[in-house]
Amino acid sequence: MSIDYFLSILKPMLEGAQATIILFLVAIIVSIPLGFLLTLIVRSSIKPLAYLANAYIYLMRGTPLLLQLLFIVFGLPLIPVIGEYLVLDRFVAACLGFILNYAAYFAEIFRGGLLSIDKGQYEAAQVLGLNRWQTMSNVVLPQMFRVALPSVANESVTLVKDTALLYAVAVPELLHFAQTAVNRDFTITPFLLAGVIYLLITLCLTMFFKWLERRLRFD
Amino acid sequence: MPILEVENIKKSFDSLEVLKQISFEVNKNDVIAVIGPSGSGKSTMLRSLVHLEELDGGNVSVNGNYIVKEGIYSKPQLVKQITSKMGMVFQHFNLFPHLTVVENLELAPKLLKQGSAEQNRSLSMELLKKVGLSDKADVLPSKLSGGQKQRVAIARALMRKPEILLFDEPTSALDPELTGEVLRVMKDLAQEGMTMVVVTHEMEFAKDVATKAIFMDKGEIVESGSPVDLLTNPQMERTKSFLHRTLQT
Ligand SMILES: Nc1ncnc2c1ncn2[C@@H]1O[C@H](COP(=O)(O)OP(=O)(O)O)[C@@H](O)[C@H]1O
Ligand SMILES: [Mg+2]
Repeated sequence: MSIDYFLSILKPMLEGAQATIILFLVAIIVSIPLGFLLTLIVRSSIKPLAYLANAYIYLMRGTPLLLQLLFIVFGLPLIPVIGEYLVLDRFVAACLGFILNYAAYFAEIFRGGLLSIDKGQYEAAQVLGLNRWQTMSNVVLPQMFRVALPSVANESVTLVKDTALLYAVAVPELLHFAQTAVNRDFTITPFLLAGVIYLLITLCLTMFFKWLERRLRFD
Repeated sequence: MPILEVENIKKSFDSLEVLKQISFEVNKNDVIAVIGPSGSGKSTMLRSLVHLEELDGGNVSVNGNYIVKEGIYSKPQLVKQITSKMGMVFQHFNLFPHLTVVENLELAPKLLKQGSAEQNRSLSMELLKKVGLSDKADVLPSKLSGGQKQRVAIARALMRKPEILLFDEPTSALDPELTGEVLRVMKDLAQEGMTMVVVTHEMEFAKDVATKAIFMDKGEIVESGSPVDLLTNPQMERTKSFLHRTLQT
């Protein structure tokens, strides 16, 4: 195996990795706030809304992400009458699927984080004169995010690996290019290379979260 | 006129009557020690004064302004304004763990836009000095001992310049060797004329510092009077048996 061959497969795979990374970033940046919003809705006193949000979380966590992606990319356009308006760009559709799914997982994580906060914190804030919003933003949320951080880190690493599901909806990404090269050249090298690239991405992510955890440490 | 007046307050949790017609008043510079067995409603009584518990009946007023009158609460904004005259110190400190000591003190005045940053800094440093923790200003609460945490909590409550300071068993969560430093700060405050209501099991502190003692049992005030009389020469059977039990352990 020559270095030339190595470089020739590296280039398309790095391009594929780009799709992987973009999907990851879009999904995480949108699904974290969305997940938090869901948590707030679940805890809100407007019961029908809370009920809907819970049902949504249950649905998203109770069915395979792959099914959800296939549903959005290939299923929606088949709906009679409105289906033709639901043909999205595949990559966009996939992003949507990831966001909708991961928001539910993050909602669960944040719900756990909120539960971990002692009621004495709310009481101290109230007695000091803080209103609900001030208590939320200055007392509860900073602690909740700190508590949730290890789980968020975990979920992020899972997300990186889940991006490989793009393969199933035929969006070219890292794994797609690896598979193409393997089929074409009858060599295992592209798979190994793909593995290394995934590892590098998750390594960076893990280091980032470790750094964040150290910075936000208060116990 | 008393600064805090409590008349016939009532509170139930479901079918459990926790406060049954409690009345007492607090005058300026009073230090009131509230004693009684666990579960007698001391915390609920204290918490209801700052609206951490919702009463079912009775009156609570500060300087003649009613928080609740005949079981009906004033408008939330007014309740907030009246309760802002009171500070509260909890058994478990309830410091904000993600903020440093000085940030704990300054968070509320900063958010409520009370005073300039410089004024708040000088007040917070002055209060930390008063509780003997000037050198801990930039430390996180997790680095403090229980006694130090409680002293920070007292300083934090003082930032609002309360007219009345409420304490709910401030030393009960502390190792015995750390209670002294907290009680000393409280004694200093009492000597400066701070009006205080203190739920406590520290009988020596009650005798030494309090101007009046109240004995509660099963949601009622059984007996009240001068701390020395109440603690050394109780009149009621329930008080006697409680003191007897406490002194034995
Ligand atoms: N939030 C609550 N819900 C139900 N019961 C409560 C609640 N808070 C206190 N109680 C009950 O009220 C009674 C008085 O409690 P508390 O005021 O904490 O007593 P104390 O402080 O004198 O130990 C106890 O029986 C306690 O179990
Ligand atoms: Mg209590």
